[in-house]
Amino acid sequence: MNKWQVLLVKEIKHLFRDTKTIVQTVVVPTFITPLLVGGIFWYVGSIATEETKKMYEVSVYSSSNSVLIDELNKSDRLIVSQEDSVVSVIDAVTQDNSEIGLVFDEDFEEDLKFNTSAKLTIYSKDIDTFSQAQSLVLNIVDDYEENIRTSRLELLDLDENYVNPITIDEEDLTTEEESAGSIFGAILALFFVMYVISGSMYPAIDLGAGEKERGTMETLISTNISSVDIIIGKMLSVTSSAILTATFSMLGFAIPLIVIFMFYSDSINEYLFGLLSAIVNPVALLGVFVLIVPLSVFMGAFLLAISVYAKTPKEAGLLLGNVLIVFIIPCYIPLINPGLELDFVGALIPCYNLALITNNLIAGTVDWFLYSVALISTIIYCCVAIYITYIMFDDENVIFRS
Amino acid sequence: MIQVKNLSKQFKAPTEEKGLFGPKKKPFWAVKELNFEITKGSVASILGPNGCGKTTTLRMIAGMLTPSRGTVFVDSVDVRKDKQTVKSKIGYMTNNTSLYDRLSVIETVKFFAELNQIPSDVYMPRAEKLFDQLDMRKYLNKRIADLSTGMKQKTSIVRTLIHDPDLIVLDEPTTGVDVTGQSVIVDLIKSIKDSGKTLIFSTHQLNEVRDIADQIVVMKSGEKIFDGNNNEFQKLDTNKNFTEIFMELVNE
Repeated sequence: MNKWQVLLVKEIKHLFRDTKTIVQTVVVPTFITPLLVGGIFWYVGSIATEETKKMYEVSVYSSSNSVLIDELNKSDRLIVSQEDSVVSVIDAVTQDNSEIGLVFDEDFEEDLKFNTSAKLTIYSKDIDTFSQAQSLVLNIVDDYEENIRTSRLELLDLDENYVNPITIDEEDLTTEEESAGSIFGAILALFFVMYVISGSMYPAIDLGAGEKERGTMETLISTNISSVDIIIGKMLSVTSSAILTATFSMLGFAIPLIVIFMFYSDSINEYLFGLLSAIVNPVALLGVFVLIVPLSVFMGAFLLAISVYAKTPKEAGLLLGNVLIVFIIPCYIPLINPGLELDFVGALIPCYNLALITNNLIAGTVDWFLYSVALISTIIYCCVAIYITYIMFDDENVIFRS
Repeated sequence: MIQVKNLSKQFKAPTEEKGLFGPKKKPFWAVKELNFEITKGSVASILGPNGCGKTTTLRMIAGMLTPSRGTVFVDSVDVRKDKQTVKSKIGYMTNNTSLYDRLSVIETVKFFAELNQIPSDVYMPRAEKLFDQLDMRKYLNKRIADLSTGMKQKTSIVRTLIHDPDLIVLDEPTTGVDVTGQSVIVDLIKSIKDSGKTLIFSTHQLNEVRDIADQIVVMKSGEKIFDGNNNEFQKLDTNKNFTEIFMELVNE
């Protein structure tokens, strides 16, 4: 074996005998995260399901007896309570005694009778995103308004098309793959980047600043191993851990999806089934994986360079914590701007390119030229990061910095 | 033979003056114009108070630090020109038991042997001989983290000697080691001396030097203030003992 191979075998043996490495690279991405994500989906889903059965309190203030109040009373999911003032309605909503407050204008019935526009004020708290109270009330109001409109048109002997000169027929041609890409692409990329970072961070700290602190770095460089062999051995160990974590995180996502397809496909709705099938696409998964490999090497070398510069693992942890933001923010941008398209400049930005390419790979709309630009640029960043690491390991002021 | 020629090393040390990114740094000479020779097969000891440049000197001899000026020749190989060859001739042991906690004793020895590209049929008999000599047989499959300090020290010794180096460099080998550990080290130094190999060690234990060293180099503030054998050292003041002479030298 070459010297770097001897070092690599030792580093991997040493790393994977530490429970922390096993937990970080295998247990968390394969089991904990899917359970956590599944748990969140289940919890959110159960809240949404609960909301479909929930009864809502509606506070109403009206100086006259409106037919609309009778319509509201007919709903089996609304409990309507009459208040004696506007302030009481506002208080009821503010203090969460009612989900919705309705205040009918004093001339509400009069205005309707004389074919003018009647005013209705709706009070609610928009922070409760799951609440269906407002949509239930608005549906009833819309139906009531539609009835009045129809009777007014009949009175004038006019067809409904008279007040609707343009009929808009919306046809959404977005494919299931495109929907899946826009919904899951950036999220998956963010997960992968976070796993590559978490998979390489601990080994980088352990093999850089950790070895300096324990004094084993001094022992290692006292042997006739060259700086190049040290870098290759250590960097491949860090990268192996990162790639392993990314692989397990992919399996952690793919295995539950495959299980759902195989055993529970009848029980999930058709739209969701379409979205999930778009994600479990071998070309997309392979395309993402090929891009993750050089990204892992780049991050591994970069983190190792910073770690070996640090005097202690504590200092390395602090420095690396700040560096993580540099990698994570580019993944967030496509997440908060779902319409972003990858261009040449974007393809040069690490992590940002991964997020958009993951999106495009799932959607089946990937531009292979931009994919190649992203891949080649990441390989170039890799080489630069490896060179910086080499400079660090070859500099006695860095190795003996204390 | 080891030839140390005008060996100097400059570092930057923080001063009390504050700069934009912390204290300002000022260059200082940790080792200044050091010259001495150690003949093949002899045991040399480097003495001096803390911060006098002992470790820096040993690291430069071992090729771990590059001299700022001057050089070291190990068996005529210039450390500045061919660091790797010099390193392959040297077994260097630091002043702490710096080993990989999660490897076993045998894995540690195997790792350092393979790093030195020694085939297993060569290093295994050598390792077994050392294991017997140091009474380590029972501990070979134990992880370093589970060993006592003395046993860690013994493992360090085996890994230092596994590639059969011509020159052994020990940096304060008895510091922080209990009495049993110290006796293991002293026995090791004696056995190396008997085997005819060259050995340099730095220490604060003056009795070890008096008993074992063929040559004594005393350093103070990066400079050599004495270079000679035991008799020459004693002749500095015949009315005083070894420790008193040393104290007088470094306090002058």
